[in-house]
Formats: sequence, structure tokens, C-alpha cells
Amino acid sequence: MTLDATDAVDLDAVDLSDRDFWGRPPAERHAVFDALRRERPFAFFAEPEVPYIPAGPGYYAVTRHADVEAISSQPALFCSGQGAVSIPDMPPELNEFYGSMISMDDPRHAKIRRIVAKTFTPRMLERLVDSVQRIAQEVAAGARRKAEAGDGTIDVVADFAAPVPLWVICDMMGIPAEDRQMVLEKSSIILSGGDPDLIADENEILTQFLEAGGMLSDLMNRLAAERVENPRDDLTTALVNSEVDGEKLTHQEIASFFILLCVAGNETTRTAISQGVLALHEHPDQRARWAADPSFTPTAVEEIVRWVSPVTWMRRTATQDTEVNGRPVQAGDKFLLFYGAANRDPEVFADPHVFDLGRTPNPHVGFGAHGPHFCLGAHLARREIGVAFRTLFDELPDLEVCGEPERLRNSFVNGLKRLPARLTGVR
Amino acid sequence: MRIEVDRDLCASTGGCEAFAPDVFEIADDGELVVLRSEPGEADLPDVRNAVQACPTRALRLVG
Repeated sequence: MTLDATDAVDLDAVDLSDRDFWGRPPAERHAVFDALRRERPFAFFAEPEVPYIPAGPGYYAVTRHADVEAISSQPALFCSGQGAVSIPDMPPELNEFYGSMISMDDPRHAKIRRIVAKTFTPRMLERLVDSVQRIAQEVAAGARRKAEAGDGTIDVVADFAAPVPLWVICDMMGIPAEDRQMVLEKSSIILSGGDPDLIADENEILTQFLEAGGMLSDLMNRLAAERVENPRDDLTTALVNSEVDGEKLTHQEIASFFILLCVAGNETTRTAISQGVLALHEHPDQRARWAADPSFTPTAVEEIVRWVSPVTWMRRTATQDTEVNGRPVQAGDKFLLFYGAANRDPEVFADPHVFDLGRTPNPHVGFGAHGPHFCLGAHLARREIGVAFRTLFDELPDLEVCGEPERLRNSFVNGLKRLPARLTGVR
Repeated sequence: MRIEVDRDLCASTGGCEAFAPDVFEIADDGELVVLRSEPGEADLPDVRNAVQACPTRALRLVG
């Protein structure tokens, strides 16, 4: 597998808006991004077609770490409010409903962020450590039972990587166990990017997407009403009761934030765990190193997030004529910040294509680059990923990937649909 | 050495609290509280990491 495939990449034939590109093997995609970063750091692409949504003018693919940082850290010049998670401009109502504060600018963004900030601080999360640990152990035990009851195999995604973050976020929100499956299915649809495996008919993308949002929103409204009557020690109660400058969050703001949490809190961590398992399988020396020495966990978690870059991009839109590191920009220009590409920028990372669990420093942008939209759940995700892998080493030490991963054909999340594994201790 | 917070930039991400929990705390209302605005020698390495890690570059160590 050669990554330095400069000669092999014909950049004129590359189209990042083509869904098929995102189904290509990672090495091939990294070679394309290496070439883009080196030769066309602001390559322009036409927008992908989304049924019923008018296509916009196109976008620039930002692939250098320094440019991603420059755009991300100047939110007044490069806004999120025109859409951060979709390439075409969505109708404003949809944009806010599905993106919540991801697709807002200050001051509204700051207002909502402050309300939820406290819940996601490291101090608050310390209390969660035990419950994350317990959840990971329960899920691992369930995976072993499944392997024992069947042919000794499991699906790393469905049987481990997906349930851990789902249970954690549902516990935090106080979502009843019987609603977990629905939350998992609907959040997967919202982030499917129209992957045909999840939405069979392309013309159904929008309706399925709306239905998914509606169901999550209904669940949240039901829970919120319950918590107003009977407050509990959960995030939902904090959301319905919190005030900023004497203002409470509206029902719609709460529902939107809930959708954001479901989607962002599930898919991203699931992807880090499933792709992390695959990376450790492909780098057995690194796996052995971490399994033998828990003190690697902090740097190992950061390296997994760099390596996987679960969220492939976020969008920003120029609010006025300006420049990025000397390159002129016009008001209205759209930029996709390709985090995975920035995370392999040789200007910043020595041997960027080497998976090194001891890497330090590691100024990756896997949780977003500098700026007000830096991942709210970063502390939680770090905790979950660390606990998930230590639990795997302890409870499922005999886990061996035994087949090819099935990748999500989606430009937005670097996800896996399935990753077959065998528990070799099961006979 | 004194810690300065630019309140216009601070987004209460809690990045600082992760590095120096004895010095920074996100309060119940979501505002960042600097528990020791003039940290001692022993805190300085953590505080420097916190300042560097702040996602919104809202922290400065001056003096």
C-alpha cells in the first residue's frame, strides 16, 4: 500500500462531490488529499445534487492545516449560520432545526452553548466515568454472549462501537431504554448522507430525513414535558430549567439541541471506536503497546481521533471579501474544511501517515480547529474512547477482525457500517 | 503572572478546566470562573497548557 502516489493521482478527474469517491479505499482517498493539499489547496468543486434542494455555486475544498485553522478561528469572517453541515444552503428552518448551534453564529450560538457548557466540562464528566465504564463492560459482555450463542463472530459496529456511545448519551439525557433503538436508527438516517444502504430510494432522502427529525423531536418534547413536572438529575432537566439572561430555551431550541446530541454524540464516537479497532488490527504493534500500558491512553485517544477524523468536514461561508493566508476570498464563497486532510498535513505532523499512539505533540483538528464551534463533546468523547478501548483489552482480549469493513459511502462521516470480528476464545 | 480572559472570545468549552481544574471552572451558569487569577509556580505548567489548548484563544498569561 503506497501512500505517496503523486504520479497516480489525476486531480482533474477527482470530484469530491461524487459519492463514489467516498467509497474508495482510504489509501486512495488520502493520496488524493495529499495531492490536493500540495497542488490545489483551495480546489473548487461543483455541489452535489440533492433532490428538491437547489444546487449552489460550488465550494472550495480546504486541505491545509493552516488554512483550516485560519478559517475556523475567524467566525466573524467565515460564518456557520448559512449552514455548517450541508453543502447546499438549506431552507433556514431546516438548517437550524437539524444543525442547532452547529449552524448558528454568535450571539445565539453563544447563548445556547453556555447553557449546555457546564454539563460537558471535565469536572462534570468525572462523575460519568463509572457509568461509562459500567456501560462499556455491559456491552462487551453482551457481545461475548452473542458470539457464544452464534458462530463465535460479532459485528464490532453493531455489537460494541454503536451501543456504547448510544447508551451513554441516552443515560445523560434520561432517555428510557426502550427508546434507544429508535434514537440509534433515526440519528443514523440523519447522518446517512443518503447512503443507499440506509435510505434505499434517493427520492426518499428528504422525507426520511424529516421523519427522523420529527420522531426525535417528539421524543424530546415528551421527555421535556415530563421533566418540567418531575425534575431529575439529567441533562434534559438541566435544559428545560436553564436560563441565560433570564431567557429559557424554547421548545424548538431544546428539540434541535437534542437532535444535535443524538447525532453528534452517537455517530462520531461510534466511528472513532470502530475505525480505531480497525486501525489497531492493521497496526498490531501499536495495539500490543497500548494493551500492555494503560498510560498510553491520553495520547492514544488523540491519535485515534487524528487518524480516523470521524467528521470529515464542516462548512464555513465568507461573510465579506477578505483573505485566507494571503489568498483572496469573495463574500459568499463556501469552504469545506477537510479535517482528515488537515490531520495529515506534513507541515504540522511528522510522518503523518504513520499511526503512532505515542504521538506528541498532536495538534489535530479532529474535534474541529480553533474557534467557538470546537466540539462540545470533546471531553466526553475522549473519555468514552479511552474507556471503550481499555474495556476491549480487558474484556474482549481475544477479539480479532476477521473480514473486510463495509464503509459508509458518505462524505460527512468517515463511518463503518460493519466490521466483522471473531472472538477466538469462543469455541 | 496573571491570567486574562477575553469574555468576547470565551465560549465556555471547558478546555482550560481539563488541563488545570484547580485554576479554571465553568460555573453553573456556563461562565468561566478563574479560581486563581495569579497562579502559583506549581500551577504554571498546567496553566500554560490550558492557555495553549483554549479552542477560542480566549486566555492569556501576562506579566
